[in-house]
Amino acid sequence: MDFGSFLTSPEIKVKIITCRDIFQEKAMIENHFGEDYINHSAVIKLDPADLKQLNVKKGDTVIVKNSFGRIVVKAEESGYETPHRGIAFMPKSPWPNMLVSDETGGMGVPRFKDISANVTSAKGEKITEMESLF
Amino acid sequence: MENNYHVCTGCALLCDDIEVGSEKNKINKVFTACRIGMAHMKEGKGEAIFRVDNKSVDEATAINEAVTILRNAKKPLIFGLGASTSETQKIAIKLAKKINATLDDNSSFCLGGVVETLIKNEMKTCTLDDVRNKADVIIYWGTDPSDSHPRLLSKYSYFPRGKEKQRGWEEERTAIAVDVRKSHTAKISGNYFFQIPPKGDEEFIDAVIAGLSGKLPKTSYNYPPKKLLELANILKGAKFGVIFVGCGLIYSLESLESLSRLMKVLNEKANIHLMAMVGNYNSMGFNENLFAETGYLNSVKFENGIVKHGPEYSIVESLKAKTVDAALIVDSDPFSILPRSIVKNLQEIPVVSIDPYETLTSRHSKVYINTAISGVEAGGTATRMDRVKVSFEPVIEANRPSDEAILKKIMEAL
Ligand code: SF4
Repeated sequence: MDFGSFLTSPEIKVKIITCRDIFQEKAMIENHFGEDYINHSAVIKLDPADLKQLNVKKGDTVIVKNSFGRIVVKAEESGYETPHRGIAFMPKSPWPNMLVSDETGGMGVPRFKDISANVTSAKGEKITEMESLF
Repeated sequence: MENNYHVCTGCALLCDDIEVGSEKNKINKVFTACRIGMAHMKEGKGEAIFRVDNKSVDEATAINEAVTILRNAKKPLIFGLGASTSETQKIAIKLAKKINATLDDNSSFCLGGVVETLIKNEMKTCTLDDVRNKADVIIYWGTDPSDSHPRLLSKYSYFPRGKEKQRGWEEERTAIAVDVRKSHTAKISGNYFFQIPPKGDEEFIDAVIAGLSGKLPKTSYNYPPKKLLELANILKGAKFGVIFVGCGLIYSLESLESLSRLMKVLNEKANIHLMAMVGNYNSMGFNENLFAETGYLNSVKFENGIVKHGPEYSIVESLKAKTVDAALIVDSDPFSILPRSIVKNLQEIPVVSIDPYETLTSRHSKVYINTAISGVEAGGTATRMDRVKVSFEPVIEANRPSDEAILKKIMEAL
């Protein structure tokens, strides 16, 4: 029996900022449902110190959730030199869109670049499939 | 077809220097384009697909079903069109008028506000050719063109030798990036990358204005005043500056007031232009065409000859408040680009999707009509991000109808 599964995993709060990614965009043009697009989209880029605190290695999956949704995506190191603990980046795609609030102040503009969520290890759970998003 | 120049409709730069090689009516070689453009040009190969309830049907059945949905709708929504030709957009506007629809494109939740100031001549702007020939100070603010408009730097804004900029980036141009992360574009800007905290733009603008006015620039996040003063000095000395504005900046501002203030102060001391980094290849065209027709850029509702306008007619608010009862989506994928918390309401109403690509939206549509890729399999005109008109011919013969042809048929049948 894997005792690890009974222990609560560390959880961190993050602000997610979505951004563009040329490799993801190319993959999307080639196939909106292709593996390449999914691999470039279902990704969260974290500060190395946050990865450490979560006790996950780069490439492991993590659960990212808030009151709007829950997704399992791959965790990666952002590669940015300046530390950015508590701030995470995701290529814009249906995955981060699962977590974007419907609160718009009536102005028609969702907060795509200001998503509050909690991150924890997914303990090997697979990436959320696109088909299950809707 | 080789050695002819073609236009790439992969983004709003509409690069017009693309050469392709083709075999058996399929493009197999693309020269000069970027990674996105290359993939985009090669996609033109699709066979016509018509579906109703995810079952294959013929064209007439699909159009009939689309017409029935729109005819039965009391409050239809037409959305998308940023990746459609101006000809298609104009038919969509007519159609919206005819069926009293709400009409919107994604500028309502992206850069519509800035584009409006440009279309209304409220901010100083210029063309990309001016940028290539003259620009000495180039700011990328909340935008990463290296990923979104990949040839902006190489074709226009930084690397090329321009008429009045023969020594190019090494000596005569300064690239500056203001962003919350060190994007690919920020890396190119080297020492002129100004990293600010999320939501720090408003204060940064105020600090730059203070610096320009000879005051000590202060921010609550203690941005080094020395660096801010250095930036203010570069801007002051600009003979032909341009600020490329992206969603990263716009989403962080409460309103555009601070940006206009910055532009005003800058232009008292230097010569600075503004350009919006619109994404879809003809988003600017949609805004211009709708503006010409109604005086508004987006978020309109036609009601028996009257045009209503406001955020309540944006796709986001219409779906949120469930004020639409059917949707015609043209060349866009709201299921992928909008928050699920909002777009889930599209699942409750019949959707007609017209798109060259199979997308989450096409899969959730009652009617799906797969159309030719404009610029690759269909010709037309579009407006580049700097408002220059560009026309293009199809590069290969299409095996599927254009969105223009489909909209015309829907219009006629209604
Ligand atoms: S920069 Fe844009 S228009 Fe130019 S080749 Fe790339 S995708 Fe096409």
